[in-house]
Amino acid sequence: MTVGINAFILVAGLLFVIGLLGVLLRKNTLIIYMSLELMLNAVNLALVAFSRYNNTMDGNMFVFFIITVAAAEVAVGLAIIVALFRRRQTVMVDGLNAMSR
Amino acid sequence: MTATQSLLIVLFAPLVSAGLIALFLRRSGVVASMVSVAAAGLICVFSLSAIRGMGAEGLTASMEWLKVGEFSISMGFLFDDTAATMLAMVAFVGLLIHLFSLGYMKTDPSRGRFFGGLSIFMFSMLGIVLADNLIMIFVFWELVGFSSYMLIGHYLNTEEAAAASKKAFIVNRVGDFGFLIGIVFAFWHFETTSLTEMAAMMNADPALISATIAALLMCGFIGKSAQFPLHVWLPDAMAGPTPVSALIHAATMVAAGVYFLIRIDFLFPAEVLTLIAGLGTAVAVYAGFCAYGQNDIKKILAYSTLSQLGYMAAAFGLGYPGVALFHLITHAFFKALLFLGAGSVIHGCHHEQDIFKMGGLLKKMPITAITFFLGTLALCGFYGLSGFYSKDAILIAANLGNPLLFGLLTLGAFLTAGYMGRLLWIAFLGQPKSDAASHAKESPLVMTVPLIILAVLSVVGGYTDLWPEQLGGLIKYDLDHLHHAEGYKAAHKMVLILGTAAWVVGLVVAYFFYGAGAKEDRLQKMAAPVYGFLKSKLWFDEIYNFYVAKIQQRVAELLNFIDLFLIKGIFVRGSAGLVGLVGMCAKSLHVGNIHGYVYWFLAGVVLLWAAAAGIIGF
Amino acid sequence: MGFTDSNSYLLLASVLIPLLAGAVLMLSGGFSRSVIRGLAAVGFIAPLLIALNLCASFEPSMVGGYNFELKLPTGLESIGIYLHMGLNGISMPLYLLAGIVGLAAGLYAMYSKADRPHAYLALMLFMLSGLMGTFASIDVFFFYFFHEFALIPTFIMIGLWGGAGRRGAAIEMTIYLTLGALLSLLGLIALYVQTGADSFSLPVLRDYLAAQPLADTVQHNIFALLLFGFGILVSLFPFHSWAPKGYAVAPSGAAMLHAGVLKKFGLYGLLQIAAPLLPAGGADWFPWIVWLALGNILIIGLVTMAQRDLKMMLGYSSVMHMGYAFLGIATFSIVGAGGALLMMLAHGLSVALLFMLATCIYHRSGTFDMSEMGGLAAKTPILCGFFVAATMASIGLPGFANFWGEFTIFVALGETAKTQWIIFPAALGIIISAIYGLRAVANIFYGPPKADFVAKLEDPAIKDLQLNERIPAGVLILALLVIGIFPKLLSDNANLELAEIFDGPSQASLVSATEANLNEVLSEEGTQR
Repeated sequence: MTVGINAFILVAGLLFVIGLLGVLLRKNTLIIYMSLELMLNAVNLALVAFSRYNNTMDGNMFVFFIITVAAAEVAVGLAIIVALFRRRQTVMVDGLNAMSR
Repeated sequence: MTATQSLLIVLFAPLVSAGLIALFLRRSGVVASMVSVAAAGLICVFSLSAIRGMGAEGLTASMEWLKVGEFSISMGFLFDDTAATMLAMVAFVGLLIHLFSLGYMKTDPSRGRFFGGLSIFMFSMLGIVLADNLIMIFVFWELVGFSSYMLIGHYLNTEEAAAASKKAFIVNRVGDFGFLIGIVFAFWHFETTSLTEMAAMMNADPALISATIAALLMCGFIGKSAQFPLHVWLPDAMAGPTPVSALIHAATMVAAGVYFLIRIDFLFPAEVLTLIAGLGTAVAVYAGFCAYGQNDIKKILAYSTLSQLGYMAAAFGLGYPGVALFHLITHAFFKALLFLGAGSVIHGCHHEQDIFKMGGLLKKMPITAITFFLGTLALCGFYGLSGFYSKDAILIAANLGNPLLFGLLTLGAFLTAGYMGRLLWIAFLGQPKSDAASHAKESPLVMTVPLIILAVLSVVGGYTDLWPEQLGGLIKYDLDHLHHAEGYKAAHKMVLILGTAAWVVGLVVAYFFYGAGAKEDRLQKMAAPVYGFLKSKLWFDEIYNFYVAKIQQRVAELLNFIDLFLIKGIFVRGSAGLVGLVGMCAKSLHVGNIHGYVYWFLAGVVLLWAAAAGIIGF
Repeated sequence: MGFTDSNSYLLLASVLIPLLAGAVLMLSGGFSRSVIRGLAAVGFIAPLLIALNLCASFEPSMVGGYNFELKLPTGLESIGIYLHMGLNGISMPLYLLAGIVGLAAGLYAMYSKADRPHAYLALMLFMLSGLMGTFASIDVFFFYFFHEFALIPTFIMIGLWGGAGRRGAAIEMTIYLTLGALLSLLGLIALYVQTGADSFSLPVLRDYLAAQPLADTVQHNIFALLLFGFGILVSLFPFHSWAPKGYAVAPSGAAMLHAGVLKKFGLYGLLQIAAPLLPAGGADWFPWIVWLALGNILIIGLVTMAQRDLKMMLGYSSVMHMGYAFLGIATFSIVGAGGALLMMLAHGLSVALLFMLATCIYHRSGTFDMSEMGGLAAKTPILCGFFVAATMASIGLPGFANFWGEFTIFVALGETAKTQWIIFPAALGIIISAIYGLRAVANIFYGPPKADFVAKLEDPAIKDLQLNERIPAGVLILALLVIGIFPKLLSDNANLELAEIFDGPSQASLVSATEANLNEVLSEEGTQR
């Protein structure tokens, strides 16, 4: 059986919403970060699906870029979180409100 | 050597001297004084050479100095007989005063500065004498003001000198304000400021005459020659060393105003001339009265100078510039003599200047006393002395021109003799009234010789027939003109009688009223209110001080307050506050919680989507 | 039209040498004091030598008006930006001014007791580099760029080395001047866009606009941007409040360079860009300039009288004197602009000298409050002599350059009946400045010392002006005297250029006339007058 585009979009949409809710509701920076990655990958999934159904490579191209950028982002982002933890002994966003001052 | 070269040396010798002193000789007073005197000597020698070589027509030479668009300034010489007369006087009197200063300033620690100042003064004064256009006159006019500022402020650690020098400069600036504007107007009116070119244009077209320009230029004269209402600086300027008072505030600088008028007499319409004559007469009488309220020997002479400047202005205003020049020259001789005599007295009395603390100086300082006496007689118009001829001519001119002015000027002559008699009898006769006076000694030769020379000049200086033929052309012309005027004979007789009566009555009444060597002012004792009134000098100083302290300074402080409060406080700080307020509002959006930012982000996305979808329109 | 010779590269060198010297100093904290001084000396002296050399070989009748042209690509050619340098009769005097004041300020700063001298001197060298560049630029973009380049070190210097209250003053000055610069930048960009010549080059713009002037309303608007933009930079009333306080707290080096030279940028922009390119706009705004400039002269003049702090007084007096320069430019005549040019130059020299001497006085008296001093002349006669000379220069005594500037501006005002009345209020300024100038001299140097000051004066550590102070002061006085005695040195060079600006447009619009012809026409005109 073939899986319809709607199924892919549904899954991608669900993944995106899970990620978004994670970003909005979780307090741990690491989790927020993972949720962000989840959202990125939801987009990736949708792009690949579109690419497949349209028989073009455009979507795939985008995915490569996104994966590359996401990898780089992870490297930097995790480093920042680690550095943050070393300095503050916490990665909970409640404590990280220096911007309000 | 051509006359032009001689004039260049005359002009630049003192500048070189001043430069040398300022750069190298500040601490070596002896060398500085020698350099300065040598420069004065050079001026004298080369002035004579220039006067001998000037030829009948005089000489002119000029070069362009600055050119911006159609406005060009040149510097040059206009050396005619008027300039030559003035140059001879300035050079000669200047040299004598330099010599006198050698003795007078011998113990002064900052002699270098003093002689440097004298040199720079000579440079500026000679510049005025020789200048061929209004702008050049103005340039040197201001420099004269500056050197006078330096010299009045010589004793700079005294409050008096600091205030007097400042006052002299600023009051002169007030006059120069009009002068400057007058030059600008004259430039656009005639498209030149050259004296000869302007005179030629006026000759060709008398309708060019402009009362505005004349009145504005007159302001310069009022400031420099200390006429109403800018006369207040001259008495205060006596805070300077006495030779300075002699050179600047009697013989040359204050006379420069009159000289300037004579140079530009072709610019003056009748109404401005009348104004000048009126102002001059008023000062002549006013200053005569003021002198009775003074006890300081130099201040008495200062008021006397004011009064005599008034005579010169009156002569000019009556249409006889030559007579004004004549009185300027003779006045330079006898007033320089009187000031130097006063200097000699002050030197002898250890810087005592109050005449009521002197007395008996005739015996202690005979040369000074006798020359001073001769100078006084010349000033009062004793028959045959120099002052007689020039004052006589002025009174005749007034008699022929305007009876009111004649009456006032004759009154002035009586006053002159009176206050000079008061000074003479109180200071020189009787017994010494202070330690300083009783230990007075005659001054050294270097001071008495200039006195003797000036005394000789004061006696014989009035005989214009004896003058070298190059000098005094204008004077001789105007005197001649006066002698042939209608009604001259009767006027002459009347003036002769009144003039002689003036000095006889003045001196005799002063002798019997005040008494020889009096210890106190009898007028003050007998009629204190009258004396107080004379001493108050019509409250000019008080009015000006009130203006400066209570009006000008208050306005300045008010504006300062407005500047700080309104402009800086409200506008600048206000706009800064407004920006700050916006910042405060914006800041409240920064909750510092990352979730807050995400919600804002989402709201932004929704808004953008709504706009793109056309749900909300811009 | 121009050609490049070795002198052109000297122009570039005058910008690069201080820049490099500054960069090396900045990067190297560890040099010994003598090495720092040596390096800085090179950076301060070289521009003046170059400027003097260029001044000597300057040819006012050069084709196109610009000498020593140099045109280097920048990578921005597509929008018409070249590193285009050269000097004409108007910029040459100011270029020289930058060199002279730069040297004096530099020499004084080299022996000052600032901490971190390498950074202090490096910032001054950066400023100097920017100043030389501003006046040497033909390209409007670089003209602006170099100005900003010089402005930034000013803020940093005030912030780091300033006196009491520096924080507020530095912030106010920064915001104000940035605002002014921004407005003038907007004006310049608008000019570029509206002209449509795709070039930032001043002569190109000038030729283009002479052939087809902008519409009057456009001129009106752009002129407003330039007038108020440049006006803020030159402390035009009532946008002046940054100046006195800013200068009062600025370290001497920054005050000398900014008040002396950098401030002239705005006037220079009005004279070189706004007035020639936007004649109709200038005519529209004429009454505004006159009233505001009279505000500078009279209101600020009186405010100056009320000051007790020496540096505040100098700051206000510098604001006041700018009024004359504005009036000169506002007449839109050769005479007025020439006067303004002389005034800018003279004021730059005298105000730099006064700020320097004020610091010298402070080092001896320990206060800037004039009412607490007195009698300093007896102790420090040479300092007194210099200060009197500088005061006399700034109040326009003949023999100093300022006199010719003021006088020429008055003459320019007298030319037409429309402007004649302005002389009366404007000339009141000569009395006002004499009052506050002489009052300052009398309060500081003359008379008996004030009660508290007597003890201070007895301190043997108070010495007269030292050699490291005398030389920079002497340089400035000498420059003032030379221009004061021989004003023709400058005015002759500027005349042709001014004639082209203010008489030129009609002739210049004959586009068919080749440049050489045009120049001939103008030089003939020059000789006829």
